[in-house]
Amino acid sequence: MRLTPIATLAALALTLVAPAARAHHSFSAEFDVSKPIKLQGTVKRVQWINPHTWIWIDVKKPDGSVEEWGVEAGTPNTLFRLGFTREALPVGTEIVVDGYEARDGAKRANGRDMTFPDGRKLLMGTSAGNDAGSKDK
Amino acid sequence: MGKLPLVAVLLALAAVQTSGQSAPRQPAPPRPSGAGRIAGHPNFNGLWQAMTEANWDILAHNARPGPPQFGALFSEPAGVGVVEGNAIPYQPWAAEKQKENFKKRWTDDPEAKCYMPGVPRATYMPFPFQIVQGNNEIIIAYPFASASRILHMTDVGESPADAWMGWSRAKWEGDTLVVNVTNQIEDTWFDRAGNFHSEQLNVLERYSPAGDNVIQYEATMTDPKVFTRPWKISVPLYRRLEQNAQFLEFKCVPFSEDLIYGHLRKK
Amino acid sequence: MRAAIATLFVLVGLALVPLAAQQAKSQWKTPWGDPDLQGTWSNQTLTPLERPRQFADKPVLTEAEAAAYEKQLVDAGNVDNRNPGTVQDVNLAYNQVWWDRGNKIVADRRTALIVDPPDGRIPALTSAAQKRRDEDRSASDNEKSAASWLDFDVYSRCIIRSALPRLSTGYNNNYEIVQAPGVVAIVQEQMHETRMIPLGNAPHLPSDVRQWLGDSRGHWDGNTLVVETTNFTDEGRGSTFQYATKNMKLVERFTRTSDRTIDYQFTVSDPETWTRPWTAKLPWNRIDGLIYEYACHEGNVGLEHMLSAARAADRKK
Repeated sequence: MRLTPIATLAALALTLVAPAARAHHSFSAEFDVSKPIKLQGTVKRVQWINPHTWIWIDVKKPDGSVEEWGVEAGTPNTLFRLGFTREALPVGTEIVVDGYEARDGAKRANGRDMTFPDGRKLLMGTSAGNDAGSKDK
Repeated sequence: MGKLPLVAVLLALAAVQTSGQSAPRQPAPPRPSGAGRIAGHPNFNGLWQAMTEANWDILAHNARPGPPQFGALFSEPAGVGVVEGNAIPYQPWAAEKQKENFKKRWTDDPEAKCYMPGVPRATYMPFPFQIVQGNNEIIIAYPFASASRILHMTDVGESPADAWMGWSRAKWEGDTLVVNVTNQIEDTWFDRAGNFHSEQLNVLERYSPAGDNVIQYEATMTDPKVFTRPWKISVPLYRRLEQNAQFLEFKCVPFSEDLIYGHLRKK
Repeated sequence: MRAAIATLFVLVGLALVPLAAQQAKSQWKTPWGDPDLQGTWSNQTLTPLERPRQFADKPVLTEAEAAAYEKQLVDAGNVDNRNPGTVQDVNLAYNQVWWDRGNKIVADRRTALIVDPPDGRIPALTSAAQKRRDEDRSASDNEKSAASWLDFDVYSRCIIRSALPRLSTGYNNNYEIVQAPGVVAIVQEQMHETRMIPLGNAPHLPSDVRQWLGDSRGHWDGNTLVVETTNFTDEGRGSTFQYATKNMKLVERFTRTSDRTIDYQFTVSDPETWTRPWTAKLPWNRIDGLIYEYACHEGNVGLEHMLSAARAADRKK
């Protein structure tokens, strides 16, 4: 039996994300939709905290200087239940961040899509080199 | 007519009586939930509170002023201290840091920001906390900042990260509940006097019954980054006996927001 | 006479059936004889609270429909399917691995969590409630220029996440229940609070004492824990459930139905908000993992950043 098609995937996804009473952290009040940014850098420090994990990376600029950027990620508790620990993202790991810049002008972005340089998503727990800190499932 | 209808009537009556037992009944009058033993162990269930000046300063100390604009309202009573030997064995750098903490305590004390107090401070803050003693897990719920601890009585392995209330693994040694608390983040203080620790702090708690309405509480602190040797505190916990005593919320986040975010308010 | 005897047997049979069902359910008991609800549970589900318009005539799906719908929801909910450069995209925040909304609709294949009213929709709002809703939505739209933390909801301020009764959210939909004689304690992973539910009929707190998670009293109705909660507060945006007032009354019912399920339902009533009470049912399923600390306020740099963004926007004007 064919179901009536659901309007758009994104609209439905938003329904699932935002319960009716709109109780959510307004990411668009913290990050700027008009300032997408792509960063590549090495992990310096990870704060496995709530409500958001923070990944601090060193980004090498074309002129050779290094800038520190903070990347906001999600709750670490979900990852802990998948078997990850704080060793899951070792210092020195090279990552690529595709996100949006902080609205207040600071060197921060949300990690809307985080991958390794070869395009594999971070923390998927299946490929070699990505199992660091992940317990056997 | 025969026996058949009579049997049916008796069965019907039996059914009505049995189904009556499933209807809601008035609960029995309250009894102290801590009475007796439970599952072969002392029964620590109930609402408990320390009666001590330790949250102001765990060492012996004079009465002293609070912030001057409030007169005597938030001044501090003297205390005889709860630390065995009345000394915290700081390494020299740490003794200096504690003195700096003390000078800035009214802004830097994590209690001022309504941060969860950590262990053992949560035990001797002057508010009633509740122990709910299950078999595999024991919950201790503290009102301040709605801090909660889950004491794991079975093997749950290591903590994946650090936490404000730490990672608690517990077992019974005779009638004493022994709790090994690891993985506390470094940002909590032991009191309002700026006594502090590092992320390497390990706390070993011991809860021993001293009658139905008293628990003798001890906590031994080990932290090789900050102290030169382990040290111990000891303080009795008293059961709250009022008929209407109840665990209440102390959600202090709204009271701390001006302190934390006031500089970002629109002028 | 035969008809009368037959009727009597039928009546006896009906009386005995619930008893038999109860005996089957009563295997989960604490050592002191209360029904046992203990363990770690999750209330996550993909089933929406309200029946979607497309299912207006369909309270329950067939197995085939349910499988297809579930797959649609899982695919639609996968945030790694991106629409970059939109506000929606910013709000979906991270990769899918950070989210944990579950991948199942309710096992009984209902199209809504709401079971009463029968149309599966929240009853009509009073005009006062509509006004509260509209004000809140407008405040939400104005967060980018927030004057202070008070312009954000209590979720963003890390006071509570969210008001009771809690529905399934984006992650950490986990609870731990521990029982002792006279009390049921529920630790909510989000946000690390313990709901302390004394059993018995002691009166609620005085009406001028209010709590963010209300004041609960529980009792057993057969194998069902019935929890009545009152004394809510309405301080702050989002502090009440679905735009209710602080006088909302919440009744929850927890019944252990298997080793790995609790049947959970809630009824909310508030004549100042809804034209009639309404009831929803969603299962709590056992999880094999642990509850981890969710220290929200302590790490809430997001609120600081949103306020500093508002001040930066002020300076640009």
